[in-house]
Amino acid sequence: MSQFWRADWFAGVLIVLAAIVFNQVSDVIGTLERRFYDFASTSTSRQPSDRVAVIAIDDQSIANIGRWPWSRDVHAKLIDQLSQAKAKTIVHTAFFFEPQVDRGLAYIRKMKQELDGPADPALILGGSGDQLRKLIAEAEVALDTDAVLAASIKNAGNVILPSVYVLGEPQGRPDTPLPDFALKSTLDENSNFSVPSIKGQQPLAQFGNVAAGIGHLNQFQDVDGAVRLEPMLVNYYGRAVPSMSLLAVMKSLNLSPKDIRINPGDSVQIGKLSVKTDESAMMHPQFYPPKDGRAAFAVDSFYDVLSGKIPASKYADKIVVIGATATGVGVQFPAPGYASLSPAETIAHITSSILREHFIVQPGWGAGAMLAVFLLVAAYVIAVLPRLSAGTAAIVTLGLFVALLGAEYGLLSGAALWLKLVFPASVLLLGHLALTTKRFVVTEAGKVKSDEESAETNRMMGLALQGQGQLDMAFDRFRRVPLSDALMGNLQNLALDFERKRQFNKAEAVYEHMSTFNKDYKDLQSRLNRAKNLSQTVILGGGRSHPGGSMLLEGGGVEKPMLGRYQVEKELGKGAMGVVYLGKDPKIGRVVAIKTMALSEEFSGDELVDARERFFREAETAGRLQHQNIVTIFDAGEEHDLAYIAMEFLKGKDLLEFCKAGSLLPAPKVVSIVARVAEALAYAHRQNVVHRDIKPANIMYDPDSDTVKVTDFGIARITDASKTKTGLVLGTPSFMSPEQLAGKKVDGRSDLYSLGIMLFQLLTGVLPLRGDSMAELMFKIANEAAPDVRTIRQDIPESLATLVAFSISKLPEARYQDGDRFARELRTVLDAWSGSMGTIAEAMPVRSTTNANAYTADQTTVLMPAATGATGNFEKTAAYVATSRTEKRTPESSTDLET
Amino acid sequence: MNYTFCAQTDPGRLRDNNEDSAVFDETAQLAVLADGMGGYNAGEIASGMATVFIKSEMMRWLSEAGRQARPREIMRALEICVDNANRSIFNAANSNPQYTGMGTTLVVCVFQADKLMLGHIGDSRCYRFRHGALMQITKDHSLLQEQMDAGLITPEQASTSVHKNLVTRALGVEEVAVLEIHEHVVETDDVFLLCSDGLSDMVNDADIAQVLDGSTGLEHKAQRLVALANEHGGRDNISVLLVQAVAATEKRGLISRLLGK
Repeated sequence: MSQFWRADWFAGVLIVLAAIVFNQVSDVIGTLERRFYDFASTSTSRQPSDRVAVIAIDDQSIANIGRWPWSRDVHAKLIDQLSQAKAKTIVHTAFFFEPQVDRGLAYIRKMKQELDGPADPALILGGSGDQLRKLIAEAEVALDTDAVLAASIKNAGNVILPSVYVLGEPQGRPDTPLPDFALKSTLDENSNFSVPSIKGQQPLAQFGNVAAGIGHLNQFQDVDGAVRLEPMLVNYYGRAVPSMSLLAVMKSLNLSPKDIRINPGDSVQIGKLSVKTDESAMMHPQFYPPKDGRAAFAVDSFYDVLSGKIPASKYADKIVVIGATATGVGVQFPAPGYASLSPAETIAHITSSILREHFIVQPGWGAGAMLAVFLLVAAYVIAVLPRLSAGTAAIVTLGLFVALLGAEYGLLSGAALWLKLVFPASVLLLGHLALTTKRFVVTEAGKVKSDEESAETNRMMGLALQGQGQLDMAFDRFRRVPLSDALMGNLQNLALDFERKRQFNKAEAVYEHMSTFNKDYKDLQSRLNRAKNLSQTVILGGGRSHPGGSMLLEGGGVEKPMLGRYQVEKELGKGAMGVVYLGKDPKIGRVVAIKTMALSEEFSGDELVDARERFFREAETAGRLQHQNIVTIFDAGEEHDLAYIAMEFLKGKDLLEFCKAGSLLPAPKVVSIVARVAEALAYAHRQNVVHRDIKPANIMYDPDSDTVKVTDFGIARITDASKTKTGLVLGTPSFMSPEQLAGKKVDGRSDLYSLGIMLFQLLTGVLPLRGDSMAELMFKIANEAAPDVRTIRQDIPESLATLVAFSISKLPEARYQDGDRFARELRTVLDAWSGSMGTIAEAMPVRSTTNANAYTADQTTVLMPAATGATGNFEKTAAYVATSRTEKRTPESSTDLET
Repeated sequence: MNYTFCAQTDPGRLRDNNEDSAVFDETAQLAVLADGMGGYNAGEIASGMATVFIKSEMMRWLSEAGRQARPREIMRALEICVDNANRSIFNAANSNPQYTGMGTTLVVCVFQADKLMLGHIGDSRCYRFRHGALMQITKDHSLLQEQMDAGLITPEQASTSVHKNLVTRALGVEEVAVLEIHEHVVETDDVFLLCSDGLSDMVNDADIAQVLDGSTGLEHKAQRLVALANEHGGRDNISVLLVQAVAATEKRGLISRLLGK
């Protein structure tokens, strides 16, 4: 509202005012108006009067008669001919202002003077004097062409001759008053009606005295040089001189100047003819359009008439206008419908106009009408146009425009009324164009705005897509948005998201895109370099790397990769599902081992969701375990599509290298280690955490500090569910309990079985059960009793051998039921071993006091071969077994121990 | 039934930025208005994302479903669409630190024949103006409304409450946002007004009704409403989206009439 200068109506007002000013200072619209007038006024059906004829002093006549000006007897001859043919009025436009004196005439006159002198001619010339006088008189008459012409004019009695006036406002009295002969064609006029003049040129008195009338031949030129107006009267110091045309009409109607009535500001009346004029006695004559390519008035050649080729009788009773049309003779002016028109032809047109009352009128109400039309157009431009839609506006404007011009055309050509409507029409057109332009510009601005809006839309969609994790589509959207500071923040975030997904090449593309806007945006350059390096060298990203592909890089200058809050220092090794890195928490300087798992490589779809959930659940469970012999878990998380667990970094190695003959640890040490593992398992089992993957590789041992730690709690469970890792799991079933192998639900006793197998291996350097094939091994685990340790290593005390055999019983119920007891018995064996071998038997009963009913009675399936006998150990062993258990089982155990 | 739409939004007199967003699409007969919240410019982002996303997704759905879609299907589509928008905003808020905590209210209208499917979350409202009577047809998800429902305070007390702007539901602040959605029957000459609390807090219902009662064009009415809110203080961003139901007439174009078809 307040910004009215932006409103359409204001633009309309401006345009109207501009048009008015423009029309005042330049004549462009006026020119258009005149052109239109020329066109419309000549598009008429009015016929020229057939009483007017033109005889032209044309090129042909000059070629035949001689150079212009001609001797005046030539004119005299034509006038004589016309006069004989009874032409009604002869309008001769040639100026006879100066006498035409033949050089020979002066001598002739001198001679004549001599002859007429006091001397007797007869004395000089003798008898031939009279004859000579006659001859001289003849010569005088023949050579005095002015006299010839004057005689002809006088003889014809209906010749009108031109005078010319210098137009202008008279300041005082005339230099020369009008001669009497001129005066008789004039009338009194003192009402400032006629066009004033200050000077005049009249024909020679010789001719003037004999002419039928003297009319002025002042042609009034418009600003463009064309003749559109005819001054009916030129005022010479109070006397109104009629134009030649007016005079011609007057004469042809047998009227005299007395019969001219002047109605100042309105018209000039001759007899019954009323010639409408404007306020300066100017009339708009009708210029008749050429017909069939011929001029409206037939123009006959002077020579043709003179030579009789065109019979003079043709001109009987006509108004004959004689004038020059030949090149170089006289001046020609353009006129409506004609590029150039000689004065004679102009007079013909005007005369005909007057005769037939064919003139074009600017009515008195015209000015008011034009103003009204203009105001209407202005109102339309200001008030109506802005409210119309583009299409309607175009149609309405075009309609109005055509109507305006059509009206002017119709009035001009039909009613001979001239209403100047070109100016309103121009205003209309200009206003429409200006408004359309303004609208277009505004629309353009609107388009820019809507581009911005759609940019904003794209940005929003980008954010939305990014929010949905569709980073590529998000980038696609962002790319369509012109870069700006706000967008840079979004792009950086997107790049970080790509980095998180380890798609460094895409992150690089984003950074590249950003750097086209501002190279120095924040730390863009370093990020770009980093992304470049990573996208080229890193094995992390994409699908080509194996699960949890190596993350560390050789290249220098690259930032150390981060996993969560840990800086990854180096690779420690490769695990079943991923790489283990050495990491460091930069905040507290703690060194950690980071186990990674590329979950998304292992799982997909719902399984991935499951796996991820399970991973964190397991990590959480494992994290709860706080035991001196269990690796502490600090943290778990997921980044770069990698699930990771950060745990205590241990010195030392796993027990794998102590599993081979030749590198075995001393037996007491082995027992001590296993006892500690058993305690750790006992702790874990109390927390309901089952390891499921107890094997030498998962026990870390540092010989220097003699510390033992169980690693990878809970992780095995995730590994289990992996569809792709089935083969791998099957690759090492040596430590798996029969029930685990059978796919049953396992509990802590399964871990203790695996621990027993490990104990066997650590003591002997071999696995108790081996097979050439997987099937064979699995069969043996399920069905075949393990050999006695002592068959492989004789220095093992029997008590230990019994213990080992017991711990790897096929049935869970037949083994140690909890790790603590396993540990205690191991310790007992150890103590006895280091003390005396015989104490074992005494030590054994201790364990029999607890947990006698740890398992249920119905699990009686027997897969083991029946035992052949029982020993003293049997009873002790049997103490584990619930009373309801079958007899068969105990002999089996004892057999193992005994063997 | 034909519908004409008009939207106006204004930052108000106290705020520099405009966290409101109002969009519509005439062909899909869809209108969405959102009032964002969150620090810096996050509110703009949230409301912008909501309107842009919902508009583009719904337009796609509607163009595929065509005019034959049943109200129930449309409502389901709206729910899914709003749910997706919610997730997008929520995730964007989580992954872009500067957008943390952003959210937005929402009113979304889909007109189909003489049915209106109207969903909303938060305290942006939809009013229906019918036969000279203005009626609020959404119920704010705001603490104030809850208090009123529980009978703890009267509407009179509510108008002076300080807890005016506490919403109990918003889009993009939680993993799940529940869209309240209802079906309404539209009568000829009904005018529906979607607005943010910048209007409803500043201008009382009677004044709104008075403006809507005029015979002026939608554009003018919308401008008038915004101006009124500003006259009353303009303490918040003001957004107004008007929809007018016009009886579908068998009005044929000039050309088709000329062709006599």
